[in-house]
Amino acid sequence: MRTDFTLAQLADPEIDAANTILRTCVHCGFCTATCPTYVLLGDELDSPRGRIYMIKNLLESGQPATAKVVKHIDRCLSCLSCMTTCPASVDYMHLVDRARVRIEKTFARPWPERVLRALLAFVLPSPGMFRLALKAAALGRPFKGMLPGRLKGLVTMAPARVPAASAVDRPQVFEAEGKRLKRVALLTGCAQQVLRPSINEATVRLLTRRGCEVVVAEGAGCCGALVHHMGREDQARKQARANIEAWEKAGVEAVVINASGCGTTIKDYGWMLKHDPVWAERAARIAGLARDVSEIINELGVGELTEKGLPAVTYHSACSMQHGQGLSEEPKALLAAAGFEVREPAEGHLCCGSAGTYNMLQPELAGRLLERKVENLKRAGGAVIATGNIGCLEQIAGGLAGGTGENKGPPVVHTIELLDWATGGPKPEGIP
Amino acid sequence: MSETLKPETAEQVLDAVKWAAASESPLAVKGQGSKEGFGRAVEADCRLDLSGLTGIGCYEPNELFMTAGAATTLAEIEAALRQNNQQMAFEPADLGILLGGEGDAGTIGGAIACNLAGPRRIKVGAARDHFLGFNAVSGRGETFKSGGTVVKNVTGFDLSKLIAGSFGTLAVMTEVTFKVLPAPEKTRTVLVLGLSDQDAMKAMAKALGSSHEVSGAAHLPEAAAKGSKVSHVAGTGRSVTAFRVEGPGPSVEHRCRALTALLGGGASVEELHSENSALLWREICDVRLLDGDGGNGRQVWRLSVPPMNGAGVAEQLTAGTGASVFYDWGGGLIWLTMDATPDAGHETVRRAVEAAGGHATLVRAGADVRNRVPVFEPQTGALREITARIKEGFDPKGILNPGRMVEGV
Amino acid sequence: MKMPQPDAGVIARRAEIIEAMQAIVLGEGVITDEEELRVYDHDGLMAYKGLPLVVVLPETTGQVSAILEYCAANEVKIVPRGAGTGLSGGALPLADAITLGLGKFNKILEIDYDNRTVITQSGVTNLAITEAVEDEGFYYAPDPSSQIACSIGGNIAENSGGVHCLKYGLTTNNVLGIEMVLMSGKIVHFGGKHLDSGGYDLLGVATGSEGLLGVITEVTVRILQKPETARALLLGFPSNKSAGNCVAAIIGAGIIPGGMEMMDKPAIHATEDFVHAGYPLDVQALLIVELDGPEVEVDHLIERVDAIARQAGATHLSVSRSEEERQAFWSGRKNAFPAVGRLSPDYLCMDGTIPRRKLADVLQRIEELSQQYGLRIANVFHAGDGNLHPLILFDANEPGELEKAENFGADILRYCVEVGGVLTGEHGVGIEKRDLMGVMFTEDDMNHQQRLKCAFDPAHLLNPGKVYPTLHRCSELGRMFVHKGKLPFPDIPRF
Repeated sequence: MRTDFTLAQLADPEIDAANTILRTCVHCGFCTATCPTYVLLGDELDSPRGRIYMIKNLLESGQPATAKVVKHIDRCLSCLSCMTTCPASVDYMHLVDRARVRIEKTFARPWPERVLRALLAFVLPSPGMFRLALKAAALGRPFKGMLPGRLKGLVTMAPARVPAASAVDRPQVFEAEGKRLKRVALLTGCAQQVLRPSINEATVRLLTRRGCEVVVAEGAGCCGALVHHMGREDQARKQARANIEAWEKAGVEAVVINASGCGTTIKDYGWMLKHDPVWAERAARIAGLARDVSEIINELGVGELTEKGLPAVTYHSACSMQHGQGLSEEPKALLAAAGFEVREPAEGHLCCGSAGTYNMLQPELAGRLLERKVENLKRAGGAVIATGNIGCLEQIAGGLAGGTGENKGPPVVHTIELLDWATGGPKPEGIP
Repeated sequence: MSETLKPETAEQVLDAVKWAAASESPLAVKGQGSKEGFGRAVEADCRLDLSGLTGIGCYEPNELFMTAGAATTLAEIEAALRQNNQQMAFEPADLGILLGGEGDAGTIGGAIACNLAGPRRIKVGAARDHFLGFNAVSGRGETFKSGGTVVKNVTGFDLSKLIAGSFGTLAVMTEVTFKVLPAPEKTRTVLVLGLSDQDAMKAMAKALGSSHEVSGAAHLPEAAAKGSKVSHVAGTGRSVTAFRVEGPGPSVEHRCRALTALLGGGASVEELHSENSALLWREICDVRLLDGDGGNGRQVWRLSVPPMNGAGVAEQLTAGTGASVFYDWGGGLIWLTMDATPDAGHETVRRAVEAAGGHATLVRAGADVRNRVPVFEPQTGALREITARIKEGFDPKGILNPGRMVEGV
Repeated sequence: MKMPQPDAGVIARRAEIIEAMQAIVLGEGVITDEEELRVYDHDGLMAYKGLPLVVVLPETTGQVSAILEYCAANEVKIVPRGAGTGLSGGALPLADAITLGLGKFNKILEIDYDNRTVITQSGVTNLAITEAVEDEGFYYAPDPSSQIACSIGGNIAENSGGVHCLKYGLTTNNVLGIEMVLMSGKIVHFGGKHLDSGGYDLLGVATGSEGLLGVITEVTVRILQKPETARALLLGFPSNKSAGNCVAAIIGAGIIPGGMEMMDKPAIHATEDFVHAGYPLDVQALLIVELDGPEVEVDHLIERVDAIARQAGATHLSVSRSEEERQAFWSGRKNAFPAVGRLSPDYLCMDGTIPRRKLADVLQRIEELSQQYGLRIANVFHAGDGNLHPLILFDANEPGELEKAENFGADILRYCVEVGGVLTGEHGVGIEKRDLMGVMFTEDDMNHQQRLKCAFDPAHLLNPGKVYPTLHRCSELGRMFVHKGKLPFPDIPRF
């Protein structure tokens, strides 16, 4: 489409990149149909096409973002469903990222909002802080009635029981069983290891069983996605650089990620640091090594099956998995290869509402998406729900439990836990 | 009727209508007059006889359309099409005999003006769906055209739809263009015998909801079946539910087998081939199977309802009344015949149809009855206003077939 | 493009109008800020833009009725908008009109397999209808390329087609009923689950009326069972002419394929580069012919089409052997617009329909025009029904290129009409082809169409400035110039 940037504006490489993206959009509107917020709200302002147009106007004007524009950009889940749909391959992801940075830099949010965002950006990326916060929340639960608005929601969302830290997540090297086929790094992540330590444990078991030497690298931590999606560019880059350095030192053939939200971000390190002369090349190299765990297992095969009579599984494809990384078939194929009957829910392309910190920042829309997702998942009828992203896993488990802590629906587990179980690992918690 | 004008060209039609508009002399528009008894009697002194506007103008088989003078007979058109293995897929019905006249009559303009369609309606649509464009003179005494010769055309309002089914009350068509399609290589009919009306609706829903491309689904209760000239149908002594399958030879055989398997379930199933099959569907299309109907003055209604409601509506109207029915369009079209009464039972009929969702047309009754009883579904409120305003816009002096559809319009 | 002069009086009452709208539609459904209105300043056609007075997004038919009633009483114009995917600018806003968006009418209300109907709200997408019934093997036949996003209400407004309409009909042949709100605010129902109507075919005229007659809020469509199988042939030809002859020969042989699409060389190359569908690159024209039905029928017809294609001089023939391969054959065609969009930042998509036999002629003329205007062109074509989509490539950032592209497009459409075709086959007239209506219609033709409009919307408040270059006042259209007694009895044979 036509754009109106001045030459001076285009001299800024970020604007130039945004201009290139904007020019590919032909305004056909196909993206609206698969956008979760448009499906809910039916308003062009809350559709990808509307946001693209708003971003174009925002960047062209050179003015600070206004509250209205911020509202609609904030409502975007960055689920990237629109990118799967887009016939013209518009790079919406990098465009909306640019808008978020512009908003962060030019828009003064009201102070409770600012505090909440700062708190999330401080707590979530650090497993230690996060564990502490969850324990505090558990203690605070009886008093939640006294808490203000969204804080109350956060406390409700926190699990009643916080598992103990797993030994797996400390820096170390796990040897391959049998012949070593690959040396890989495992991103142990941030929130996941606190909420579900069993996922990393299962991943290490499965990878080593399939001939991988697994390195948990010293100095690697949160991938940076959480702050990146809040427009905190500098903090995200800092976290990225730390990881790049750690994995370079580890000398690995692949960086394995078992939370697809993180995978999408790490695969994009090259773009994130492309204007940094020192880091650009290094970032691109690490991004090129990043693999979702399902990709690696797909390459190596699931291995010998040890379990029979496995339950039917409803597979929930995380947005970051299917739209962010374009991995729709691999995880399902693996589950099927491991002996599970795989079922798919209706509206599988729609987000569950988790979307990083979205469920904390936009609880109303997230709640409506969750409700819709849970209905579709239940209707699919599997005895277990599997997914490849911790955010979805917690969100859906919460939705099935009706927020009471009592799990009424089928258990929700990580795909990798099921693959591990089918090939010699323990049965994941919650499966009858 | 004191006078008949018989124009031979479109220009003469224009002159005639201009004159009528200027002198406010209502015109009764007719082609061959085969459907004059359909609708209300026209309140006019002068007849505009279009039977001079005949002849196939342009027929290009590969372009799948034909342009013809409005009063070109269906017989002439069908003969030309046959030579190229083509047909008018909407199967215009020949209501001549039903309406007490001769068979084998009717013009293309008349078929379109009455929006007639035969059993294939369920698959390919009615006359309206095959009517691509026209030249006409409106009641204002102005020539206008709409549409074209191509099927895909959304340029401007689709006035063809307005004119189809308007019974000549808005404009006098002088030339029409319509879609033609390849005739099927082969036709066969699968008969299921002995179904109750209700079960027949279900069987037809099953067949029409299958992928077997059924191009006709009719149910003849025992009495209606008895009236058929096809001995396999008349001689069963049971009700007959008929399914028509058309297409290339191997496909027809395959689909007939598949339908038989789908519908069998214990019921007895037979097949009709070529001539018998064609005759049966002709009888259904032209409404020749009404029980006890020898032109004996019984009244005939045509009811259009959601298919699954067909049997229910018919049951209400026939139970203990001496009326009888047969069904076409998978149950969605009911032909109802009953002993003549001064009001044609219109309140009862319309109440039943309204409850089911649909509309009713009194197709045959004495002229006095048709003038007393609304022949077409009465309209109220906004619908009535729009109808009146359209008439006002196209024929402000009310000179074209006044009163044919609605009294005073 | 000249739009009607906005009514300053209405604009002056903006605050009052907003207040009235907010009383009808609560919350975010009334959009008034300029930067938000800007997002609604055009639809799928980017060439023309304009800010609406206000955007209103109602959620119920009752609200639509209340809005229209208010607007009729206060002489405020309405521009209805579905999903905003239209390619003729039918939903282009007006400065003195409310843009009435139906995005919130997104629920499917009833699925009735026995009667083979679906009732939905008008904002539901075309594809969503199929998705709702496909578990039972059913689908909704018309399939415009934008089916993933375009709304069924918009389909009715434009009488949309698609690749399968040659065999299965257009929107107008597949819609059974609608609920429509008239400009007066009155709610009417045309049609239903039954067939045909008991009076004038108002359902038929509402279809394709481009938002000029009423606002559609609910729709009843018929659904069909999917064919048992479908297979596609990919046929390459050394010239447009031989491909055109092949199309004519297939139809002439009495075969009506499920779909029959054609692409010219630039379109073949653009799509092959983009989706790698496996198209032959050494041909001038490509036909995709899809045959559907029972397997025996499809096999039988494929043999026949194959023979016809050889006869017509096809240099490349392949038949899909699996569902994946069939999809691959189509993937190029289905992505033709975006693929061509990659060659150039902007394109205009034309939509003329021509008699099939004129195909090679018209393509030749388009090629000449392309050279004359110095703009590249790629052609995709619903060959089976003669509906041509020339894509004119240009760069809107270059001053003067849009105007050049528009003139080029207009010349193509004029030629389409000249050879016996029409201006638009499925995209609608909208704003884009409005000023070309006179090429096809006389003043009397258009006046009769407008008299239909007068019956629905006598004050011309619904979507003015679209479809007709001049909208005459209804009082003017109603006037009749007859001189009583002066016309002699006509000189016509009489009895």
